[in-house]
Amino acid sequence: MSPPKQTYRHIEVRSLDGDALEHLSCDMKLSLSREDMVEVQKYFNDADREPTDVELEVIAQTWSEHCKHRIFGALIQHELDGAKETVDGIFKTHIKEVTEAIWKDKPDFILGAFVDNAGFVRLDDNVAVCLKVETHNHPSAIEPYAGANTGLGGVIRDIIGAGKGAKPVASLDVFCFGSPDTKSEDIKADDVLHPLGIMRGVVRGVRDYGNRMGIPTVSGAIQFDPAYIYNPLVFCGTAGTIPIGDIEKEVLSGHKIVAVGGRTGKDGLHGATFSSASLTTDSHEEDQQAVQIGNPIEEKKACDFVLEARDRGLIGFITDCGAGGFSSAAGEMLSVTGGELYLENAPLKEPGLVSWEIFLSESQERMVLAVDEKHLPELQELAETYETEAVLLGHADGSGILKVWHDGELVVELDCSKLHEAPRQTRNSKWTTPTFRDDVSLEGSTGDLFHKVLGDFAVVSREPIIREYDHEVQGNTFLKPLGGATGDAPQDGSVIHIDGSKPMMSMALSLLPEWGKTAPYEMGLACVDECVRQLVICGADPKRLALLDNFCMGNPDDETELGCLVETTKGMAEAATFYQAPFVSGKDSFYNYFETEDGPVSVPVTLLISGLGIIDDRKQVVGSSLRHDGSALFLIGKMSTELGGSVAARVSGITDARVPKCDLAANLARYENLYSALQKGHVASAHDVSEGGLITTIAEMAFSMKAGVEIDAFFSKEQLFAETPGCIVVEVESTEVDDFQALFGDDAQQIGKTTSAHKKLVIADQIEEDLTSLKERWQHGLTPYY
Amino acid sequence: MATRPNALLLKFPGTNADEETARALREVGFEARTVPITRVTVEDFADTQLGVLSGGFSYGDYVMAARFAELEIERRLGDTLTTFHDNGGHLLGICNGFQILMRLGLLPAGSLIDNVSERFVCKWVPLEKKVTDSPFLHTLPEGFELPIAHGEGRLVTKEPADAETYMKDGLAALTYGEDVNGSYQQIAGLQDTQRRVLGLMPHPERFIYREQHYDRDWQQAEHGWGYYLFQSIYQTVTA
Repeated sequence: MSPPKQTYRHIEVRSLDGDALEHLSCDMKLSLSREDMVEVQKYFNDADREPTDVELEVIAQTWSEHCKHRIFGALIQHELDGAKETVDGIFKTHIKEVTEAIWKDKPDFILGAFVDNAGFVRLDDNVAVCLKVETHNHPSAIEPYAGANTGLGGVIRDIIGAGKGAKPVASLDVFCFGSPDTKSEDIKADDVLHPLGIMRGVVRGVRDYGNRMGIPTVSGAIQFDPAYIYNPLVFCGTAGTIPIGDIEKEVLSGHKIVAVGGRTGKDGLHGATFSSASLTTDSHEEDQQAVQIGNPIEEKKACDFVLEARDRGLIGFITDCGAGGFSSAAGEMLSVTGGELYLENAPLKEPGLVSWEIFLSESQERMVLAVDEKHLPELQELAETYETEAVLLGHADGSGILKVWHDGELVVELDCSKLHEAPRQTRNSKWTTPTFRDDVSLEGSTGDLFHKVLGDFAVVSREPIIREYDHEVQGNTFLKPLGGATGDAPQDGSVIHIDGSKPMMSMALSLLPEWGKTAPYEMGLACVDECVRQLVICGADPKRLALLDNFCMGNPDDETELGCLVETTKGMAEAATFYQAPFVSGKDSFYNYFETEDGPVSVPVTLLISGLGIIDDRKQVVGSSLRHDGSALFLIGKMSTELGGSVAARVSGITDARVPKCDLAANLARYENLYSALQKGHVASAHDVSEGGLITTIAEMAFSMKAGVEIDAFFSKEQLFAETPGCIVVEVESTEVDDFQALFGDDAQQIGKTTSAHKKLVIADQIEEDLTSLKERWQHGLTPYY
Repeated sequence: MATRPNALLLKFPGTNADEETARALREVGFEARTVPITRVTVEDFADTQLGVLSGGFSYGDYVMAARFAELEIERRLGDTLTTFHDNGGHLLGICNGFQILMRLGLLPAGSLIDNVSERFVCKWVPLEKKVTDSPFLHTLPEGFELPIAHGEGRLVTKEPADAETYMKDGLAALTYGEDVNGSYQQIAGLQDTQRRVLGLMPHPERFIYREQHYDRDWQQAEHGWGYYLFQSIYQTVTA
């Protein structure tokens, strides 16, 4: 036998001055500020002892930006064009209070927000649906495959650990990359992976986790911008379903704490603190151990186990091991009751892990349960059935103190009530509205510009990627990412049938980072607006929508970047309040900037709004592809001429155009009318105006190849390419035209018709093009790169 | 008939299409029971008319698709499946289940290997029924459509001529209407010489209801085409 090895050590902090405390934080990679370290010192002065390394690690991850979202909680002195205002916490003011106000009016619909792993809304009398979206940016920059793989694995686990265990039913993925044709010499840093390599790795990572878990990946988006070369963004989201009675969960004193699933290893050490700092060239060498290794089958087994245990009533409380591993999962569970854990019980991938490594490791595929002692034998049997491991890790004891033992040594003894109190930050931010040019017009012929736009990376079909995702598994993908008569035309969102329920769930998302560069407030408005619009087009009731907000930004210490974020959240909050669409969950990711040879490069402030909607009747789901010849084409809403944020402006090199206005009142009335038109069966298909403008919307509808299109209304070139929020092209059955027009009045204009005479896109006096060749250009834009 | 026939679905770690496959079986009239491989016994097959291996990634398919599932079946059940088959039982393998049946030797010799594209592919494909004597296919028309979703679906035989023989001998029950993965003779599904085992890469359980089709206007039949596959075997075992 080898002599017993010390698995932890005490660290002297009580005698250190401020500089030494800061050094200690740096040496141990704790990512704690000087002020934080002073608080830590106070705690141990009061406790009259030195901390262990395990305790410092626990506090560091608990207080990390990744886990605690301290910037979203900070008190911000904000300045907009010279006018000062105070934001008493972005999260509190622009997210939580928005939802709380809506909640009062919709108590039967919103069943949970912000507290659990995911927010819940009611699907029907018995079932709730939930959605969670996470980012995995830093790991995906360093190891694209593994980073994206565990990004999806992690968010699926959030759903498995939501309530007493929700069933994952669909996933979404949103990526922001540098352009796949970026020249190598344009990458101004060593060891940064080429965007094409990142894209391929990330897609395959998502593919291999989602496909193996048997969860259809049904929604997504990709944005390309040079600012994402150094910091790609990877958002992964998963939706789940749960019986409403299983949403509430509670840890009781006396509950046993059980770890289920994968084993604990050295992978994923310091993930939470690593994600709370910016990447550097050194990151590519030093931080590889912070990236976890995924094994979807381990998670599939744990998922099967959890769902059956839930149905048998064996689970008191459950959560997943994400950032911070056991420390944050068990810390959350025992934060009220307190309790004891025994690290030697944790099954390890390899021997020789010291205490903090076991407690903080972010090894994947692990769930932690609190259960009644009498259920332990049945849980053990169930674990054997599904070939997963369930081990007793400790118990909850009502002491309010978290005690962690390792081979008989007490390595952590922390007062839970003090653990979650990080010092509040104060920050400054400002935003100055840029000067816009009002007489922006587009050069060249409509046809040439249209070819450019249709073949732009922002617009071209995502088919090569979508085909690699099993978007049909579970057999419930009712509106698929690609539809129409040939199964390859784009849709505005997805619709998922939920087994055992009549209502269905729609999923949609929006991100407009180009807008935020000059008009962040409007970006906030427009993202919410677009997501709401797409959910309604998919057939959802505009009164029963739920949203998620996910933010990524560069350097929050830069006042202008933070100001851009503040403005974005203001816009987003206003739109959500107006539409009465609550935020039920969200996440933020900071420090997405990189020190290149030419100086720091930050990602643009990027807001992803994703959402769920409830569809009562499947007849309301019509899709975005033309259905027949002989139907009327309507535009609802008025196309504006502002080109800001549009693909046409970007390919034309225009940077000083104003973004279009987002008229919330007019748009909401329109969406309610559209919902009513869908219910009454007036609508054959509908597609909203987004990337590429009105002309692209019409072409994409025609890519079902069921009919030719003739547009006889007049549109200026600017109107054809502007991306005005709220505008929707609707195919109306010829017999329904009068009723449809009556419903919308002046807000709807018949702009043309579908025809069997040809398979062309004809726009009077501007365009006459063969649909087959247009589709070819659109469909194969990504093929050479993927 | 008074009692519903029994279908037994074997579930491995990584099997992920068992729920919708059970749903499809119930929809046409089967009693469907899913049993994890750790709990299945020889007795489970005693009153079973149809054994089903559904889609997924058994044990992750990290080594070779279906290799671990094959070993686990042999370890836990010995030659139970062969005996079940010899005694007149029917077996259906879909996607990963097809791969497992191939490895177990319950279908004509061959392998399902990486698609020529070396990519996973999820799409709807045209299919052609090549036999008239399959108890799984008799209510289907000669041409129909189902979705595929696989990375290792390319059927190859030791000699290319073997695949031609399978076509001639009525063992190649289904072919793709286009080249989707490089399968010899575009074979999508095989049956055994006794005509009681069918393995196929496409997913009939994903097209039970008409509205599961990607085209909102699809109305070629009353049900989705997959329904008719399950209905055929239901009619066979209840005849």
